[in-house]
Order: sequence, then structure tokens, then C-alpha cells
Amino acid sequence: MIKYILATLGLGGVAGYLNNNYVNLINNSWVSAYLFDFSLILLLFTMGFAFGTDKEAVVKLRKAGLRILGVPFSIALGSIAGGLVSGYVLGISVVGAMAVTSGFGWYTLAGPLVGQLFGADLGALGFVVNFLRELLTIVTTPLMAKIDRYTPVALGGATTMDTTLSIIVRYCGPETLIVAFSSGFALSMMAPFTITAIAGIPK
Amino acid sequence: MLNVIVPLIAGIMVGFLLRNRKRIDLGKISFGAIIVLIFSMGFSIGSSNELLQSMPKIGLNALVMVGLAMFFSVVFLKVFQKMVKLK
Repeated sequence: MIKYILATLGLGGVAGYLNNNYVNLINNSWVSAYLFDFSLILLLFTMGFAFGTDKEAVVKLRKAGLRILGVPFSIALGSIAGGLVSGYVLGISVVGAMAVTSGFGWYTLAGPLVGQLFGADLGALGFVVNFLRELLTIVTTPLMAKIDRYTPVALGGATTMDTTLSIIVRYCGPETLIVAFSSGFALSMMAPFTITAIAGIPK
Repeated sequence: MLNVIVPLIAGIMVGFLLRNRKRIDLGKISFGAIIVLIFSMGFSIGSSNELLQSMPKIGLNALVMVGLAMFFSVVFLKVFQKMVKLK
């Protein structure tokens, strides 16, 4: 699977580059607006379907109960800790690095918001870091699902409510649907507040 | 937001209604959709000159940051799972 993912990603990258710089066969936004959205909707439907047909999924979920709320909080703390350590390791602004990793993978938010609060350099990092988080989650989920079925949920951060949800459910089983979705949803809600709150820490 | 909730709920409802039917395998459809999704992600990277240009400058820093953020997320979640027994 990972072979297909990487090959398709590379192919898409080359196609996008050629289309943008040389041939201009289609409008760039057509791919993101139609192709991307259509495949995402189809995937979400098939994943919901798999959950709906799984008779044990609800029972498993009921057992986990309210404890699944601890999942996004652990992931948020882990992401911020990662930012803290990387700030020291790389010798860049520690507060800024924490804000960057507090995007939890939501790059369209983290890029502009961190840029506005910390300047363009960290804003670019905010975009790229969180973009890579989504990308690496997609690429590594088939492998990481073997460690533990919630490991890809932690890797994906906020992206597990949409873009990476389907891949996680495919490799980790239908019962991860609600955990992955609710964790991604909670992290998406938390990201703007966390970034803004971290920006308030005196540098 | 609505593009996520609506297909997901619709899928759950249709799946629930058909759960006693003979097993319907959507594996091939979801595989195809994943491939299209990843292709369009690759396409958006390739077609963004800004993103490609900023990569060599900040790529290494970004890799270290995303690696550590993902690593600690997994570790913290593991600790939480040990504490409350999620499984």
C-alpha cells in the first residue's frame, strides 16, 4: 500500500508542477475543489458504511465511554511538548515553535495564524510543519497501525476528522472511527485557541 | 465541516440499514478514492511554487519539528492509555 501511496503522491506532484509551470491543461483549483472534495466525500461515506455494518463497533465504543475525551488532550500536550523540545534543539524561538506544532496538522489555519502572530518566517514553518504532519500520517498509517490502532490517531492530530480519517479507519478498523473523528474534531477546535494562547506567553 | 458530517452520517445510516444483508465490500471503492485523494494532494504540492521554494530553506527544521511533535503525541497518548486502559 505504501508503495502505491508514494507513487501516486509523486505522480500527482509532477502532474501539478507541469500543469502549473508548463502546460496549464486545467485550472489548479479544479483539482483541490472537485477531485479532492469528491474523493474525500466518497471515502467518508464508505468509512461510515463500514462502521454502520460493524455490529460490535458501538459496543466497543460504549466500553471506552467518556475516556475517549482524554485522547485529544494527550495528543495536544504531546504536540506542544514536541514544539518545546524542537525549539531548543533547533535554536529557534521556543514559544514560536510551540505555536507552530499547536496547529496539530491544520496547515491552512496554522500557516496564516502563526504568521500573523509571530511573523512570516514562523508562519511558513507553521504551514510546512503542519502540512508534513498530514502527509506523513497518510504515508505511515499502514505501518503504524501495526504498533497500536490508536497510534495513527496521535500522529494525525487535527487531520483525523477528515483527510486522514478514512485511511486510519481502513487500517485500524471501523471501531476507531469515532475515536479518530472526535479526537480530530476536538483538536481542530483547540488549535486556534492554543496558538493564540501560546502567543501570549512572554518571550 | 458539512462535507465531512453529511457523507459520514449518511454512510453510517446506510451501513446500519444494510448490516444484515450479505456483506458488501467497499474496499475497492475506498482504495480508489484514497488514490485519487493522494493524487490531488500531490498535485496541490506540485502546483504551489511558493511551497516548493520554501522547502529547501525550512525543510530540515520542519522535518525535525513535525517528527518531534508526532513522536511526543504518540508517547503522551500511550501514557494516557496506560493510565485509563482505553482498550
